[in-house]
Amino acid sequence: MNAPIASVASVADLHHQSIGPNRRLLAAAFAQTEFKIGLVLLTLLIGTAFIYPNLANVSATKISVMERFLPPFFMHGGNLKHLLGTDQLGRDLFVRTLIGLQNALLISLCSVVLMFVIGATIGMTAGYYGGWIDTVLMRLTDAQLAIPLIVLAITFLTVHRPTPQAIVLVLSLAGWPAYARVTRSVMLSERRREYVRGAKILGASDLRIILQMIAPNILPPVMFVAVLDIARMMIFEAILGFIGIGIQPPTPTFGTIIADGRNYLINGWWIPTMPGLFLFATLLGINLIGACVERARNMLLRGAI
Amino acid sequence: MVFLFDFLARRLAQGILIVLIVSFGIFAILRMVPGDPVRMILGPMANAAAVEAAAQKLGLRDPIPVQYFHWLGNVVRGDLGNSFSKGKAGQSSARADQQSDSDKARVVDLLRGAVPMTLQLAGLALVFTALISVPLGVAAGLFSGRLPDKVAFYVGSIFVSVPNFWCALVLVLVVSAQLNLLPSIGYEGFAYTILPAVVIAIEMSPIFMRALAISIADVHRQNFVQLETIRGIGFPRIFLHHIVRNATVPILNLFGVQIGALLSGVLIVEYVFNYPGFGLLTVQAVSQRDFPVIQGAALLSAMLFVVINMLVDLISTWIDPRLDF
Repeated sequence: MNAPIASVASVADLHHQSIGPNRRLLAAAFAQTEFKIGLVLLTLLIGTAFIYPNLANVSATKISVMERFLPPFFMHGGNLKHLLGTDQLGRDLFVRTLIGLQNALLISLCSVVLMFVIGATIGMTAGYYGGWIDTVLMRLTDAQLAIPLIVLAITFLTVHRPTPQAIVLVLSLAGWPAYARVTRSVMLSERRREYVRGAKILGASDLRIILQMIAPNILPPVMFVAVLDIARMMIFEAILGFIGIGIQPPTPTFGTIIADGRNYLINGWWIPTMPGLFLFATLLGINLIGACVERARNMLLRGAI
Repeated sequence: MVFLFDFLARRLAQGILIVLIVSFGIFAILRMVPGDPVRMILGPMANAAAVEAAAQKLGLRDPIPVQYFHWLGNVVRGDLGNSFSKGKAGQSSARADQQSDSDKARVVDLLRGAVPMTLQLAGLALVFTALISVPLGVAAGLFSGRLPDKVAFYVGSIFVSVPNFWCALVLVLVVSAQLNLLPSIGYEGFAYTILPAVVIAIEMSPIFMRALAISIADVHRQNFVQLETIRGIGFPRIFLHHIVRNATVPILNLFGVQIGALLSGVLIVEYVFNYPGFGLLTVQAVSQRDFPVIQGAALLSAMLFVVINMLVDLISTWIDPRLDF
């Protein structure tokens, strides 16, 4: 990791030492080439996903028997009206994919925010108070970790109708334990710091100490790492759709498009593969950004930046 | 030896507590399912009185805690109950109304049939994972910032971005359908394990690769490793005795944490490949509202998680005596 460290050093020299660790972390992440690649890839994909379906006058759900199994534009028989061709019902695959991308992004963003809030709340409470509260909360966390996410998700979503809200809830239920553990361990050392003890002596309430004084110090580094979870949750959203308990048709999602196209693997191979390629590219963008942030965080912990 | 025993007893108590919480949680969620499981057993034609009688007999009208302790009592005696929907031969029964309770497959037998298949799949997947992540991860750790590190970074980022079910479909399309190299759907021999294992390995390897790279780089940077070179100790010895030994503990811990993810991966991959293991059994059980099978599967995976994490802690302390229990 010599190259990033060198470039980071120059970034650090430009600014004064007084800039905070969070700003330094972001600067170190941005200094890496892979971060920029990921950012460009992601911007392009998200931009297309939110602009193209509005510009192109093509419906995502209109069935057209005459245009079934049209191949993508680069193959013989394809045309530019349907860039990725059409599916088994003659619906435009490109617009369906992009709308699926919109849905996946919104759901995963919401669930990451929610799991962060749940996990941080539980972790901070357990770490701050310690004692039996800590024991109870951490045993719950361990128990949650012991259930495979998928088992929990399919059990819950067969009980409850798979509305977007229920899906967000399930995804965040599956992800909060990691955040609870990390926040707790940081909180354990933070609560002994001078400023916390001082605030206590001055009579500040626990809620105020935790939310106004400790949280701004310990949460941002955890938040940066949450970037990687956005990608993980997008995969999970797609898996749920794939086994039929994601957002229900006719709304297109990656999972349902690929699951439906699975039966046409031989005579319409683009139907399951092309949407997956877009999902892959989006995940790659997020993961490149996330990995750079994580690398920057490791440098920060080592004191290299 | 005394503290070892003490440690084991404490961890065992914690583990049992975790298993109890998990099994009660799943049990309670399942009891809130709309739709009567008795209807699934007896079929839509059964009259209300028969449904009620069967429900009474199965204990489905008791309060949830009563049902739970009843179930728990049987579990302790090694009885996980009978499947609601699977017949003795393993197929879903067509003439459900004519079957008595004893015609249904025992959950223990279903699990006993499925688990070895999944162990075979998970084992092969771990071998593939190690084949991918150990060379790349170690090289990336030793030459951090240089070419191997970059390669590992990109391979890891690409692998972690591949959705597993999509990867499975693409492999079926290319390797099985187009190139005709490996069979894939169902199970008729060991060859059917390879493609599913590859998919799981692609999913798991980036996690281990990155962790391995980070921990090896960390150890490599330590003063004592740098000093050994000065003392004239050869690199193979430094590597095996000092770097590997110190870098193993974080990887082992990671493995313990990732057991849940491994199981999730196995589940979805078995579903796509129609591989007759633990995961397929669970997915089918959920779609058929087969409570006893779901409970058995959840219990088993929680126990697996607890046992593996205990083993991880034990092996870690054996490798690194500085860790205390």
